[in-house]
Parts: sequence; structure tokens; C-alpha cells
Amino acid sequence: MKSKKKAYLFAMVPFLALCILFEIIPVVYTIVRGFMPEGGALGFTLDNFTYIFTTMLYRRAITNSLLISVLSALLGIIVAFIGAKAVHDGVGKLSQAFMSILNMVSNFSGVPLAFAYIIMLGNIGVMTMIGKNYGIEFLANFPLYSVWGLLLIYVYFQIPLATLLLIPAFESIRNEWKEAVALLGGNKLTFWRKVGIPVLLPSILGTFSVLFANALAAYASAYALLMNNLTLLPIRLSEQFVGDIQQRPEFGSAIAVVMMVFMVIAIMIQDKVTPKQGEKR
Amino acid sequence: MQKKKNIGAKIIVIVVIAYLLLPLLMTLIYSLFKEWIDVVPTGFTFAAYAELLADPAFWQSVLRTVIISVIPIALCTVFVLLAMYVVVLYHPEWDRFMQVLCTIPYAIQGVILPICVLSLYTGAPEPLNNRMVMLVATYMVVILPYVYQGIRNNIAGVGAGRLIEAAQMLGASKLYAFFRVVIPNIMSGVTVSVMLAMAIVFGDFVIINTLAGGHFMTAQMYMYDVMKKSGQRTCAVIIILFVVTLLISGFAFVLQSKQGKKKTK
Repeated sequence: MKSKKKAYLFAMVPFLALCILFEIIPVVYTIVRGFMPEGGALGFTLDNFTYIFTTMLYRRAITNSLLISVLSALLGIIVAFIGAKAVHDGVGKLSQAFMSILNMVSNFSGVPLAFAYIIMLGNIGVMTMIGKNYGIEFLANFPLYSVWGLLLIYVYFQIPLATLLLIPAFESIRNEWKEAVALLGGNKLTFWRKVGIPVLLPSILGTFSVLFANALAAYASAYALLMNNLTLLPIRLSEQFVGDIQQRPEFGSAIAVVMMVFMVIAIMIQDKVTPKQGEKR
Repeated sequence: MQKKKNIGAKIIVIVVIAYLLLPLLMTLIYSLFKEWIDVVPTGFTFAAYAELLADPAFWQSVLRTVIISVIPIALCTVFVLLAMYVVVLYHPEWDRFMQVLCTIPYAIQGVILPICVLSLYTGAPEPLNNRMVMLVATYMVVILPYVYQGIRNNIAGVGAGRLIEAAQMLGASKLYAFFRVVIPNIMSGVTVSVMLAMAIVFGDFVIINTLAGGHFMTAQMYMYDVMKKSGQRTCAVIIILFVVTLLISGFAFVLQSKQGKKKTK
């Protein structure tokens, strides 16, 4: 026993093995591979990245992904802000029900969510049919199988997440501040513009980063809705490795690197703006 | 004035609730009626559910989902607890390092991690090229942040430092103090994060689709398969799986609120 003074270190081994084998090495390997020439030859090249940023298809994947992530995050936050503010204003017993429903529907995402929208607004969806029967153009020709349809689905899964993240933030707003603003002659709008929103800004920004990363990485809804027919980063990434078209692992790795860069930026923003646990306020 | 404002707030909350429940309700109604091509659906029936529950392939897929959720979660929890033993008792300065390792999965969420793992290990020697090994390990990494956060918060919450000191003063070894005193005290808290992890793996489609394709049909893959055949049955699968997920996270929620009460007492 005494000769094995450091025997306790063995307890660290499973955890480290997992992290090294299935987290660090795969990521490092993918990054390195993204800078290697196609076809498996050794060497360093930026060709894969030049190709991504100069080819129409992949440039569209980036713009579509960024567009849908930013817009869905923004719309999600706007609805969540209105919802969380309503809870903050006081809705009595309704608030408990609201929280439960938010928790509940935050589990409704991916393939099931996409399918729910297909039966509502797809080619033979219920609302589409009603639209056709009663001549409601907007419903009859709803562009579900497009970036805009996908945006609608993404906004849906952003709202519960955003609201759950924002409701606690509103608790930091004190009624005394509202009174102080009122005493100084400001109205409600002044309060929210000059005090409320600035106080909430870190939480809003942090929530935005979470939502952005969430949407950027989302794959199941888009895949269930459109298979590989919509140009989005996660879809273009996965088809370089699995599926029917010719596999291009080096090029695919470069797409993965581009995605990881976006994710890391989002997480760094979130890390910067959210107050650390245990830190004094 | 005060009342008026609250009515406005209530209306907003009700509108948001209605918006969020709409797709769910539509799915539920769709699964219960033969036809729905006008405002009112016709032909109420439980046929879709009956068919589904009579299909052995469905039950097998559910069983596979349970297996593929329970194994990674159990292993991941044990791995993190073991590592925490070292960090808490011997090297508190390593905590920062462990935290980084447990945050990285956020940056490689979604399709990125399974693709990285797949491209690295398809050509690797056994057992790494085994799809099941890849699948279990990838799930473990995905749930790592939640399991770690849960365990860490609870260790801090029960005041593990003082517990260990007390146990040692009474003559217990470090090993005994951690595994027989600290762990039983944090177990109910850890269950909450385990349940959250369970809900995540249960709802996963990306990882299973990337790493196993059609070769390991979990409930999610079954659903995707049925989607091409019958809308009504798909809706029935969605509702059943959704209810199961609700039960899992509901269980976590109840545990959590119970704990909250205990602490305030």
C-alpha cells in the first residue's frame, strides 16, 4: 500500500480516457485533417477552406445557417422577453402553469417537431387543406419546405429555452428602481430603456449565445423536413461522411472546423457576459 | 390600473401557451382520427395506438433506446464520481481543468462530435471501430456537462469538505469518507441530472443516425421510419415517446422540488 502512494490516481483514468479518446483526439484530428490536402496525402493546405468560402453552395450553407441561427435566436428572445416580462408583472397562478408548459415543450424538438409542422402546414397538412378549402392564400401556399419554414420550426424550439433562461433574470429587477424612475419623472418606457434592459443585457446576450449555438448545431428538424435538400452547415457537413454522395473527409473536416469556430465564438461571448457562480455580485 | 396591466400580462402568457401547445395538440388529434382534411377531423379511433402497441418492432426499438440510454449514463456518472474523488480529496486545483474538459462538449454539440468520432475510428482497430462502442462513448461525452455540473453542484451543496473532515476525525479513511459518506448524501441530487441526461439521449436522432444509421433501430429511428409510411401512426409514436420523456423529466422535476423544500427547512 505504501509503495503505491499515488494509487488513488487510477480513479482518474476512466474519465481521462473517455475525454482523451472521444473528445480531444477526435476534435484535434478533425482540425488537423481540415488543413490537409484531399485524397489522403500528407501536407498543409488552405484549399479546403478556400473552396468553402468561394463555392456558391457552401457559401450559401454558411449564410443560411447564420441567418437562421441569428433570426431564430432574435425572434425567440423577443417572444421570451415579452413572456418573461408578463410573468414578472405578475400573472398569479398562471405562472406555475406557464413554467410547467415551458419545461414540457422544451422536450418537443427534432424529428417530432418537424413532423408536427408537416401535418400542420406541409403539402397535405391540415391548415394547408383548410386554406385551400376556404381560399386562404397564406395557409394554402405556406412555404414550409424552405428556409422560412425551417425558421418557423426553429423559433418554436427557441422560445421555451429562451423564456426559461430569461425568467430568473427578471427576478433581479427591483420594484424600488421602478419607483425611483417614476419619482424622477420617467414613465415605464424610460424605465425599460434606461434601467431594465441595460440591467438585463448580460442575461439577454448570454441567452442569445445559447440559442445561436443551439440553432447552428440543430440537425434533426432540418433533416426530417427536407432530407439533404436544404443547404445548411450541419447537413453539408454530415453528407461528406455519411450517405450516398462521394465522401470527402478532408473537406468535411474543414466544414466542421468552420462550425466549431462559430460555436466557440458563441460560447466565449456567453462565458464573458454571464456572472460566474459563487462570484460576488 | 394595476388590474388592467395584469390582465394584459395574462393575455400575453395565454397566447404564448396556446402557440406552444398548438403543434402538440394537432399531433395528438391527428393520431386519434382517421381523416383530417377539413376544420373538424372525422373517424375517432385508437387504431394507430393499437397497431403500434401490437408491433414487436416498436417494443424492440424502445428497449434498444432504454439500453443505449442507461449504459452511457451509468458509466458516465461512475467515471465522473471517480474523477471527482481525486479532485475533491487530493487535487482541488485540477477542478479548473476538469471544468474545461466538461465544457468542450457544448462547442461540438449536434452533428459535429459524432462526425469527428466516426471519421477517426471507422478504420481503427477493435474495439474502437465497433459502432456500439462509438455510440456509447459519444453519448457519454454529450451528457458529460450535465452529469458533471450536477455532481459538482451537489458536492458543493452538501459541504463535502466538512463531511469528509468529520468522517476522518471519526477514523474513516478518505476512500470511505467519499464513497460511503459523501456519495449517499448527493445521490438524490445526482438523480436529477441523470434524468435530464436521460431525456437528452432519449430524444437524440443526430448521433444515432450518424453512427449507427439503420443498423440499430432506436425509438427515434423507428419513428423516422414510420414517418414515410403512415402519418397517423407517426403521430401516435410521437405522442407515446413524448409522454415517456415527460415522465422522465417530470420525475426529475419532482425530485428537485422535494430537495428544494428539504433545504429551506
